[in-house]
Amino acid sequence: MTVHPGADTWLLPDSLSVEGLLAALAAEFGLESAPEYGATVVYADSFDWRLYQQGCLLHSHGTCWTLYHGDSGEVTVQQGGPELQASCRARDFPPGGLRELLEPVLGIRCLLPLATVHLSGRQVRLLNKDDKTVARIVVESQQPAGSERPHRLVRLFGVRGYGRDQENVRRILAEAGVAEVASPLIGFTEGCRAMGRSPLDYSPKFALELDGGETAREAMARIYLTLLDTINRNIPGVLADYDPEFLHDLRVAVRRTRSGLSLVKQVLPGPVSDRFSRVFSRLGAFTGPTRDLDVYLLAQESCLGRLPPSLRPGLQEFFAGMARRRQIEQKKLVRALRAKKTRAALNAWQQTLKRRDRQPAPLAGMPVRDLAGRIVLKRFKRVVRDGHALDAATPDAEVHRLRIQCKKLRYAMEFFGSLYPRHELQTLVRHLKQLQDILGNFNDLSVQQEMLRLTLKTLPAGSRRTLDQAAALGGLLQSLFQEQQELRAHFTEAFAQFGDEETTALFHELFGKRQESA
Amino acid sequence: MSVIAVYNIKGGVGKTATSVNLAYFSAQHHGKTLLLDMDPQGSASFYFRIRPPKKFGAKKLLKGGRHIEENIKGTDYPGLDMLPADFSYRNIDLALDECRKSHKRLSKVLAPLQEEYDRIILDCPPNLTLLSENIFYAADCILAPVIPTTLSLLSLEQLFAFLDEIGQDPDKVVLFFSMVEKRKKMHAEMMRSLRERNRVLQTVIPYSADIERMGVYRQPVAAALPASAAAAAYESLWHEIRDLLAI
Ligand SMILES: Nc1ncnc2c1ncn2[C@@H]1O[C@H](COP(=O)(O)OP(=O)(O)O)[C@@H](O)[C@H]1O
Ligand SMILES: [Mg+2]
Repeated sequence: MTVHPGADTWLLPDSLSVEGLLAALAAEFGLESAPEYGATVVYADSFDWRLYQQGCLLHSHGTCWTLYHGDSGEVTVQQGGPELQASCRARDFPPGGLRELLEPVLGIRCLLPLATVHLSGRQVRLLNKDDKTVARIVVESQQPAGSERPHRLVRLFGVRGYGRDQENVRRILAEAGVAEVASPLIGFTEGCRAMGRSPLDYSPKFALELDGGETAREAMARIYLTLLDTINRNIPGVLADYDPEFLHDLRVAVRRTRSGLSLVKQVLPGPVSDRFSRVFSRLGAFTGPTRDLDVYLLAQESCLGRLPPSLRPGLQEFFAGMARRRQIEQKKLVRALRAKKTRAALNAWQQTLKRRDRQPAPLAGMPVRDLAGRIVLKRFKRVVRDGHALDAATPDAEVHRLRIQCKKLRYAMEFFGSLYPRHELQTLVRHLKQLQDILGNFNDLSVQQEMLRLTLKTLPAGSRRTLDQAAALGGLLQSLFQEQQELRAHFTEAFAQFGDEETTALFHELFGKRQESA
Repeated sequence: MSVIAVYNIKGGVGKTATSVNLAYFSAQHHGKTLLLDMDPQGSASFYFRIRPPKKFGAKKLLKGGRHIEENIKGTDYPGLDMLPADFSYRNIDLALDECRKSHKRLSKVLAPLQEEYDRIILDCPPNLTLLSENIFYAADCILAPVIPTTLSLLSLEQLFAFLDEIGQDPDKVVLFFSMVEKRKKMHAEMMRSLRERNRVLQTVIPYSADIERMGVYRQPVAAALPASAAAAAYESLWHEIRDLLAI
């Protein structure tokens, strides 16, 4: 949690009016009150709370946007921007300070409206006998939409070097009955609650605390239910098509589920496993085309950046066509996701996991700890074996398969991670991640080449212009290929490191038959 | 971080008025700013209604560290703090003389403040001493207000001679015209001839009753009289300096 409630914020007791409070302060300080403000603001953040994680809050009032620090309340920027409808992205903001701050934090994630709160209040400067400001008081009423009573807050902001005056203010507040410390973000959090959200309630990271004594069946049910929750929570965003990350996160949860079903055998009854493997395979399949097009479209900038400006229009046209195709695929996806069949299958999955199995599978009652190590170790050996077979000439398709192997290993480590010592696990994850990053870049380069090849095919035959374009695209293909070749070199190296004695020993130490010696 | 020293050998040329107003704009738009009142008269402190701290003086200033930290005061304006001056600064050269590497002392004392502040502005006393040498060493820019008169020319020559003597880059010096009276022919002529030099800013601060009255209302001009020509002149001066120093 990065947003701390300010220690210097209190609730104004019902018995105390703002006038009463100011009168008490006026006995020792000069008061200089700024004009009263009042506005209904809509707080916004990405679905995964990227701003909040940075300690920031953002709200809009019509087209006026304010970004500020959650704990100090200090305004970072205030600027014009788009009207916040259902969603908007960083790139919808006009060029300027706010956009520059939002873009790196939000990336491709859109802003969603979170809480609507009516804010009103005023700032009062407290002056000493030289009429110098020695502290500031803000009295603010925060009323979340739909709630009946506003939260009335008093906040104290000190001025550096005037600590003694600040102490006096505290004393006066206490004497006036201001005693209950409150969060300055109370309106925001209450407003979120009214929308069924609470800060940091969603993260794409898989995090689940297992208990080593749990049976495999219990643990796997909790893992699958966590993943199902991720799927369900991303569905509205996928249907509304707010940003590509909803679909991405949904697909990752589907893939993790499928990995689980294929890696962890004999914990769920065979027929159940088979049935839901098919369900999730279907889910993976009908969400695939839209995602593939998303991946291409996301590579648009970097592809265009590699081309000389004169050749960009041709590629842009190609992307425009791709965007149109995506619209069509998205419609199909929405239909498939909304279909009764899909909803029913996901419900059935939930019911099944929560219910007792009539005929438990052979390993259902095994302690999860015993099962987990075996599974992870098996995946590790597989990655090392396939990785060793790799050389500069390995076909792309095989590299791709290895990338999938690595993902499976990663998922297995994530499922059961909470059962192992954090530090050692993180070391192994870090090594694996290095490998995955290289494989990921390799894959991106494949995707871009693939796309250029497709572009080449769409070029009309004949004209001089076409020839120029084809030549440029060819050159570009060559440069991507070259880059990919260079990655291959790193790749063998990274693999050698991953499969080295030290890492292997650590894997065995962590996931091997430790329990027996213990 | 950048350190801007507002300096001239002559008194009464508008150094303090300039420091106070530039510090205000610097903090308002472009980052956390510390104004250091180096003049034992403490006029900058007076403009911000900040009294000299009780247990503070030249010796503590030169010790630096927490001795400075504890005596920095917030002004009425967000992002703008100041270290008020103390009357004991009038003997600061004696205290400096006792320091090792006595011409680098101020620079050393300012270094740790970089973490907190994007910019430090020094309001300097008028003279050429060991303190001035310290200031020139610490500053990235020596901003000199010049009243366009023949007498000013003389003090400028002295300044450049001094910089030469202590081996400082004369290009650190940036000039601008201060307290300019349009109707005075001499001002116009002097300005024309001085503009042939390098590093003379375009913005001119006019002679203005609104600036003169700062001692009465005790605020930066732009805070008290935001729509005045004087406020606009200081703002334009600030922007020109920012562009020049690329800060
Ligand atoms: N541009 C100006 N127009 C009119 N009066 C000014 C102007 N600048 C400064 N003053 C006044 O002139 C006097 C000296 O200015 P000050 O800034 O204190 O100079 P310095 O710091 O160089 O000694 C002060 O009374 C100040 O109010
Ligand atoms: Mg002065």
